[in-house]
Amino acid sequence: MLEELNKDNIVQEDKKFKRKELTDRIVKLIFLFIAIICASFVIFIVIFILEKGIEPFVKNYSLVEGEVVQQNIGLFFTNTRWLYDGNGGMGFLLLTTLYTTLLSLIISIPVSIFTALFIVRMAPKRAKPVIKTCVELLSSIPSVIYGIFGMGVICPIIQMAPVQTFAGNSILSASLVLALMSIPTITMVSINAIEAVDKSMINASIALGASNAQTNLKIVLFSAKSGIFAGIILGVGRALGEATAVQMVIGNNANGLGFYNPLNPGMTLTSAMLSGIGEASGIGYDVRFSLGIVLILVILMITSILNVVKNKMDVIKTKNSTSVIKKIGKFFSSDIAFIRTYFNDKFKKDSK
Amino acid sequence: MIEFENEQTNVEQKVDNSANTLLDKEEFKNPENIAFSCRNVDLYYDYGEKHSLKNINIDILKNKVTAFIGPSGCGKSTLLRCFDRMNDLIDGCKVTGDIKYMGQDINEINTIYLRTKVGMVFQQPNPFPMSIRNNICYGPRCQGIKNKDTLNKIVEQSLKDSALYDEVSDRLDASGLSLSGGQQQRLCIARTIAMSPDVILMDEPTSALDPIATLKIEELIKELKKKYTIIIVTHNMQQAARISDYTAFFMLGELVEFNETEEFFAHPRDKRSEDYITGRFG
Ligand SMILES: Nc1ncnc2c1ncn2[C@@H]1O[C@H](COP(=O)(O)OP(=O)(O)OP(=O)(O)O)[C@@H](O)[C@H]1O
Ligand SMILES: [Mg+2]
Repeated sequence: MLEELNKDNIVQEDKKFKRKELTDRIVKLIFLFIAIICASFVIFIVIFILEKGIEPFVKNYSLVEGEVVQQNIGLFFTNTRWLYDGNGGMGFLLLTTLYTTLLSLIISIPVSIFTALFIVRMAPKRAKPVIKTCVELLSSIPSVIYGIFGMGVICPIIQMAPVQTFAGNSILSASLVLALMSIPTITMVSINAIEAVDKSMINASIALGASNAQTNLKIVLFSAKSGIFAGIILGVGRALGEATAVQMVIGNNANGLGFYNPLNPGMTLTSAMLSGIGEASGIGYDVRFSLGIVLILVILMITSILNVVKNKMDVIKTKNSTSVIKKIGKFFSSDIAFIRTYFNDKFKKDSK
Repeated sequence: MIEFENEQTNVEQKVDNSANTLLDKEEFKNPENIAFSCRNVDLYYDYGEKHSLKNINIDILKNKVTAFIGPSGCGKSTLLRCFDRMNDLIDGCKVTGDIKYMGQDINEINTIYLRTKVGMVFQQPNPFPMSIRNNICYGPRCQGIKNKDTLNKIVEQSLKDSALYDEVSDRLDASGLSLSGGQQQRLCIARTIAMSPDVILMDEPTSALDPIATLKIEELIKELKKKYTIIIVTHNMQQAARISDYTAFFMLGELVEFNETEEFFAHPRDKRSEDYITGRFG
């Protein structure tokens, strides 16, 4: 009698756990489905831009006088001016984009790292959350506000330079605005990286007679380097892709030859895409999609290179060399098998 | 009402064990022999809320192994951290009383200098995520030693002193984290020795290790005491009996008894020590 009861219990329990496992596995598949949808949106956007961006090179646009134009492929790569009439060259836009980003990083990286270090390691205990909240708030300010700030404060300051400027609108102003915009992002991520540094490492360093500065540089920053680098990647992405604020302060100079001097006005890929978009039509509108392709490619390339560098930085390396798709397949195939057998069993029972 | 009064008197009762903790022996009379001396040391955590060390009086002899034992939470680690002023890093921690190192008030010694002279080995092995070589060079480099030959000599010597040389001499550039737990702990000892300190503080250095690794570290400590003054916190009374010359027994923040190890275990003078040794509590 007792044995029978136990047996029943076990069967009962087994059923209960099977059902739990089933929900787990189904939820997992649902998440996979959602992830696939999100990923396919990205792919869809890229395809859309590609399709629209190739159009100016192949479609015939009629101008007022009955002429017909296309974007000239050769000039697209070689012209030093950016024009919206089919003869523009994006080479200098690309260079200016990279140059502006680089200048902004030269400012934002050290400032962010030292701010983060200060907040985590040096700030008085009470002040810490206050400063941290400030940085968090800064990172949520919309870019148009940074743009206005650039127009109202940074440009007039640049204008004071002893050389002739374009009312302070310049590559330097854009870099400064970009730096201001990316500092909160890089700082926040760096703060998290620095806070995650093993306390016992810090204690060991100090117990070995290292000064605070030595500990911060050699242990804290060293241990947090890959996390900080992740912040830098985000900052780079933000700087490369920012349009509004840049467009407001860079001067939108279609002639690219002056790009080497940061005090000259310039034009980036994003500002060329944005400036005058309201009045644009025909080829002048569609060619912006072509710039979009260039921008996407550049951002993808740079962030993936930086990610490779970051992965090299991580101490722990995964040796697994099987392809991602295979891994995902393996990850889910057992779930599908489980669910199938579960329902098979169930149907069999029901039909009995 | 009566209970309340009792509490009052309890609080006011001043702990005074100095009769049991300051030894009336020849070695302790000569100030030259004494590495650390504590007089009326009190320590408070959490801005005075937690009274964690109560009126500690103790002398630590040079070139001897002194063991700190006692139940968990009695303040062994806390007192150990007083000696290289690691408590300074803890917010809201306050130390009162006199602690002298080589006859000099430790608050008047430059902390960085003090920490180069008083090394510390932690409970959990914590090598830096760098190569074995760089782990050992870290301290000397922080003191400005840059010469490669000097550094190489330091690496070799400290690895030999910490009985790790044979195991790692062929892979000095491997990560310190690639070693086993016991090896990591010896690397941490090597890292401390590389500073050529006078004193080594060890906070339960073997608690994360298996018996064989523990034995190795114990052998090492016996070797090291020829050159260094060692203070070791341990939960293991056999270990204290095996390796130490003097033993200090703590309870609830008090130093209950301090004596030569043999005498302490053979004839504990305090009832609480006796209970602890015989395993009646703790
Ligand atoms: N950083 C701290 N802040 C507040 N209180 C602390 C801190 N460190 C220790 N204490 C308290 O001080 C008392 C002594 O702690 P300590 O770490 O010195 O004990 P211990 O004897 O080393 O114990 P164990 O054998 O478990 O390591 C404990 O009551 C503990 O709660
Ligand atoms: Mg402890």
